[in-house]
Amino acid sequence: STASEVTPHIPGRSRPLMSPSSVLEEARARLHVSAVPDSLPCREKEFEDIFSFVESKILDGTGGCMYISGVPGTGKTATVHEVIRALNKAYEDGELSQFKYISINGMRLTEPRQAYVQILKQLTGQKATPDHAADLLNKKFTTPGPRKETIVMLADELDLLWTRKQDVMYNLFDWPSQRHARLVVLAVANTMDLPERIMMKRVASRIGLTRMTFQPYTFKQLQEIVVSRMKGLKAFDSDAIQLAARKVAAVSGDARRALDICRRSTEIAENRSPSKKTNILVGMSHVDAALQEMFSSPKIVTIRGLSNQEKLFLRAIVAEFTRSGLEEAEFSRIYTQHISLCRFEGLTPPTTSQLASICSRLGSIRLLLVEHGRHDLQMRVRLNISQDDILFALKKKQMFDE
Amino acid sequence: MTEFDNFKEDLNKTFPCRQSQINLLLSLFGQRHQYTYASLFIYGHTGTGKTAVTTYILNHLKLPHVLVNCVECYSSRFLYEMILNSLHVNSVTESSDLVKCDNMNDFVRMFKQVSEEKGIDKETIYIVLDKAERLREMEMNILPAFLRLQELTQQNVCVLLLSEIVWEKFRTGSGYCEPFVLHFSDYTNGKYNNQLIEIMMLDHPTEYDENFYRLYLNLVLSVFQMVCRNLKELHHLARLNFQRYAEPVKTGEATAEDTRKLWKNIEPHLKKALQTVYLREVSSSQWEKMQQSIEAGQPPALQGLSSRSHVELPYYSKFLLIAAYLASYNPAKTDKRFFAKHAGKMSKQSKLLKKHERASNHMLGPKPFALDRMMAIFYSVIEGRVAPTANIFMQISSLVSLNLLGHVASDDQIDSPKYKCLVSLDFIKSVSRTVNFEVMRRHLYLNCDI
Repeated sequence: STASEVTPHIPGRSRPLMSPSSVLEEARARLHVSAVPDSLPCREKEFEDIFSFVESKILDGTGGCMYISGVPGTGKTATVHEVIRALNKAYEDGELSQFKYISINGMRLTEPRQAYVQILKQLTGQKATPDHAADLLNKKFTTPGPRKETIVMLADELDLLWTRKQDVMYNLFDWPSQRHARLVVLAVANTMDLPERIMMKRVASRIGLTRMTFQPYTFKQLQEIVVSRMKGLKAFDSDAIQLAARKVAAVSGDARRALDICRRSTEIAENRSPSKKTNILVGMSHVDAALQEMFSSPKIVTIRGLSNQEKLFLRAIVAEFTRSGLEEAEFSRIYTQHISLCRFEGLTPPTTSQLASICSRLGSIRLLLVEHGRHDLQMRVRLNISQDDILFALKKKQMFDE
Repeated sequence: MTEFDNFKEDLNKTFPCRQSQINLLLSLFGQRHQYTYASLFIYGHTGTGKTAVTTYILNHLKLPHVLVNCVECYSSRFLYEMILNSLHVNSVTESSDLVKCDNMNDFVRMFKQVSEEKGIDKETIYIVLDKAERLREMEMNILPAFLRLQELTQQNVCVLLLSEIVWEKFRTGSGYCEPFVLHFSDYTNGKYNNQLIEIMMLDHPTEYDENFYRLYLNLVLSVFQMVCRNLKELHHLARLNFQRYAEPVKTGEATAEDTRKLWKNIEPHLKKALQTVYLREVSSSQWEKMQQSIEAGQPPALQGLSSRSHVELPYYSKFLLIAAYLASYNPAKTDKRFFAKHAGKMSKQSKLLKKHERASNHMLGPKPFALDRMMAIFYSVIEGRVAPTANIFMQISSLVSLNLLGHVASDDQIDSPKYKCLVSLDFIKSVSRTVNFEVMRRHLYLNCDI
């Protein structure tokens, strides 16, 4: 069993994972981002387009490129994976000739040229240095050979394959145009105008005009996604799902975000229920609490939790900015303001060292942007939050509540 | 416990006037197995005994410790390896056994390993980093990691940072685990309780009376205290001049009690020393030699370092330097008045200029000038025709390499380089005297007295 020793593996669990027992646990398992459903709702058209593109290439025995773009969480990679699954099924049904699927991800590579190594490894199982791998691949794709199967390649996070000479991208898009290659490349990235923005003309032209954009989900689609995952399970109030969907659609249209919020609200519902009832319904209030947790700005909460002198220091900064009309002030100026504020409040003013430590603390939690401490009194201080936020946070409650 | 008390007494005798700091350090260190602060930051002026006190305590209590001077460790690798190897030191015999370590991650891992190997992981290990201000210039992660080494290694380790600057000047970025800050205050020098004298009395010459030496130190301090409170410097000066003070007693001209006579004898001598030895015009050995042959020659007979500002230069180099000086300290507007052959009377405008420019150029320092302007002044001040050969331009660049001129960064280094004149007025006066050129009255733009 040398093979099992050589193949990397994760140690097994001592106890098997528990299967969900209550309705909410079942709901959580289904709402998990990694629990990709068999068919993606609201992406039927995109699926159809990609499927027919790859299918036609396989049937014709030619190669080609497709560029797929869209903001994160719109189902690009999931749709491609689904297409591959469907193609595999078609091959098993005997409707399609054989093909080989490989995938690289720019984020998983330590540097762009490692893409060659990955591709070669997935094609032949051979290990080589990047240069050697590039040579081997070039030979494989450019010379005519007795090759029966088409290779479908998914290149995810394409923008990370960018190099100064763009040789990796060039090769990736040049090989499909070779006559004997029979390579289909599905390139996935976030920005729609990536080929025009960062690629050279000869690289962009090789990508071609077969492009597809995944629009962000609308609230109806997000609602449908959640509802489809909750099918046959009475865990959510339908209004609660709609609230989550509408809030997420207004900000980003990210399906992962919507699923996360729904998961979090099941947890909140479980914690809030007084008795361990089996069927708790997740309502609007739970979703609202989850939304508050995810979307509310932590900065105002932080300001409210600061010590009195730290709050006073923030006020001194605002006072100094209003006095000078600039968005930047020297530490010594703020110190003067701070002392006079202390006098108004009847507090003992801190020493410069104490105030410097206050300043660096606020700088280290990024409420302020400060310079290196070696500039001491000449250190320039900027705010990392708007002045209105500070005033709002400090005014809402009494500033010094003993 | 009595042994510890003895040690404490001994310590207070060795380091007088450091009682509170010593007590604090000893109580912070505690017993060997006890945990102390993760890091101590000790600061104070030069010569306040930061390094001496900490190393004395660590050495005499035989605590496991490492002393590293951060100036020596110009790269972080040396720092790591120095700490690991000096912990390891007893077992290392060959250079091949030396530990190799080049990042903080390895350091933390190997530190644990080494301390376990040596069997000192049950007691506090002290890492003393002298001149800790240098750590700020190293990689960003070093200082924060040393401040929380106890947490990272999960071992009883204490990092002592010794520095002359305050802790505020170390702060940067996303914050540190704050160390315990300990100040070594300056030695006071009150009228009745002079701590400096207390310390310098520690090694008084045995052949003389204690009181005699104490009176002498009083005199030394009364002269030098105004300018210097550095213990090392004062101690050095006191040692240097003592023979001279004790001379009348030796020869029998005065008795040890005749303080007035002794004071009269030493006072002018000490004042002279203030101007010569203290500023290192005359080296200490020269000063001693002079004292031995005091009958033959007076101390200032020897020329000091700074009076030797005479430099032999080629003829054209001298004029180039003069031209550079004039270009650097004269406003460009006055060039026409000074250097044009048939300059008319001073116009109204230039009179206005004179009023306008109140601040002296000599106060503000030299201004940069372009090469063209300097060459124009050069041709104006030199007599006869000089061809602009390569030789002349070579001399300009050699003046730069002699640090008599300074190169100022400009946009174009080849077409229009800019220079600054870096020599003093006295120097240029002496240079112009050697070539019979009058720089002061005729050519220098002065609007205040020099």
